[in-house]
Amino acid sequence: MKPVSYILMFLIPLSLLPACVDVDEKPNTRNGNFEALWTIIDEHYCFLDYKAQEYGLDWNAVHEKYKERADTVKTVFEQFRVFADMLAELRDGHVNLTSDFDNARYWDWHEKFSANFSDSLHRIYMGTDYGIAGGLKYRHFINDTDTIGYIYIGSFNTSFSENNLTYVLYLLQDCKGLILDLRNNGGGLLTLSERLASRFTEKKILTGYMRHKRGRGHSDFSDFEVQYVEPFDGLRWTKPVVVLTNRSVFSAANDCVNRLRCCENVTVVGDRTGGGGGLPFSSELPNGWAVRFSACPFYDVNKKDIEFGIEPDYKVDITSEDYQRGVDTILEYAIDMFTSLLP
Amino acid sequence: MFRVLLFLVFFVLTVSAKAQRDTLLARNITTTSNMIGIGGVNVLDTYISPEKYRGTELRFISMTEKRRLGNALSYQRILQLNLSLPHNRARTADYLAGMLNYSWGLHYNFDLLDEKRLNIKLGGLADANLGGLYSTRSSNNPGQLKAYVNITPSVIASYDFPLWRRVFSVRYEADAPLFGVMFSPHYGQSYYEIFSEGHTDHNIVFTTIGCAPSLRQMLSVDVPIGKATMRVGYVGDFQQANVNGIKSHSWSNAFMIGFVKRFRMSKIR
Repeated sequence: MKPVSYILMFLIPLSLLPACVDVDEKPNTRNGNFEALWTIIDEHYCFLDYKAQEYGLDWNAVHEKYKERADTVKTVFEQFRVFADMLAELRDGHVNLTSDFDNARYWDWHEKFSANFSDSLHRIYMGTDYGIAGGLKYRHFINDTDTIGYIYIGSFNTSFSENNLTYVLYLLQDCKGLILDLRNNGGGLLTLSERLASRFTEKKILTGYMRHKRGRGHSDFSDFEVQYVEPFDGLRWTKPVVVLTNRSVFSAANDCVNRLRCCENVTVVGDRTGGGGGLPFSSELPNGWAVRFSACPFYDVNKKDIEFGIEPDYKVDITSEDYQRGVDTILEYAIDMFTSLLP
Repeated sequence: MFRVLLFLVFFVLTVSAKAQRDTLLARNITTTSNMIGIGGVNVLDTYISPEKYRGTELRFISMTEKRRLGNALSYQRILQLNLSLPHNRARTADYLAGMLNYSWGLHYNFDLLDEKRLNIKLGGLADANLGGLYSTRSSNNPGQLKAYVNITPSVIASYDFPLWRRVFSVRYEADAPLFGVMFSPHYGQSYYEIFSEGHTDHNIVFTTIGCAPSLRQMLSVDVPIGKATMRVGYVGDFQQANVNGIKSHSWSNAFMIGFVKRFRMSKIR
């Protein structure tokens, strides 16, 4: 046998060994991009069944409804608008389509409701002598009878450390109670939600569940996995806490409210939260547009979705009269709770 | 008298030369090669995107082979590093991709043809891989950790041939994993769930050639240049997996160039 034959004897079969692990990319055409977007949501979005129950969402019907429009668009701007309208059917603030010229979003969950938070009112209450520790802004509210601690966390995108929390709680330790204002907190790092909640419980508590998709089917979910909050091994707050919420409390902040309300001394005051009870994933279309969507659903302790928000214990809105007078109705309600309602 | 003296001198020199040869015992032949290369890469990971990313890859390979003289067994160690920055079709996003691979294994040698010009090695490697993908655009599932170990059958064939009064060598190696263990999130499982919440779901996966059909192959030619030997070649690295509902592949084809050193470890008795 010639040497070349020896080499070929091994080369040919080994080259045939690896069967391809591959996917068929959708073509970068009007129809290809439409099908790619619809398929991404169909196979990965986690609330299709839930929203079918809640308001009758039929994702197959959505395909038929928008396919005709998608086939007739003449510009990418029209195409973007059709895609944005289709995604809006999901009624989800975690769903976005991003191109170089626009960011499609669904913001009805807060834009169609009272803001219940005002920068100008907030500035009146905060004054100029407040402290800043990482993403925490804090101060004392002192009235005739009591001193109340106040922490504002406007975002979980600006981090705060355990040390930040320890110092802030230490500096507010003389207060009768604590107001934790999460209004307009649109979310960010989920780990901050857990970090914050761990300061307000004395024991390990069940706060909810989460799941993830295990396949392409709308109902292909993992088992419910428990979520706990464990008490921080250090300075914790054991006095009453009032958490302030509005419709712009979303995503990780929504999760935080869900965790905090399971703690012993916590009361939630304000408006229903905006929701966003699904951990988002990202994907993309053949034309390069990015798409974001909810992928892993969170649930409360009763295994109920928190996608459409969490009701407060006390529903309070900022009235237009109070707004005119420079009074934050929700914040005043919380202060009154400490001075009159709470012991 | 002069003849006797000349005979004695010749005898002593001959004997001493023979004795000197006897004290140098050649034990091992070690061949090392270090190569760098550049090529094209095609990357797919449906956990991050249904799109395939294509681009340029840089690769480094360090290989050591040792064989004891007179012994049919040889061992091999390979260290590979590859880095790439592939982009999607629309060029609106990039991956940062990289993989470190370390393989160690044994081969049984068949020395064939006249003067053992053809050498065929059959054996296996323990093959460890650590790397990942990072999407420069995605914020919530931006990366994918790649970590897996395999038991990998391996075949090497090398053939020495004379050309221009020098000895050239052509060499082919193919390593195809038979089975192993791989880390992988599940289809829609987030890294937050796995690492922050500790919720595991079949994240350590037993893989076989059926669900992770992969192949690393290298075809090279050793070219003697002066006292050095240059190695030029082609590397095809096809890493694939279809586990937990996630399809992934990294297909690399790279041109490699480097130098080979072959030396003999001897022991003085």
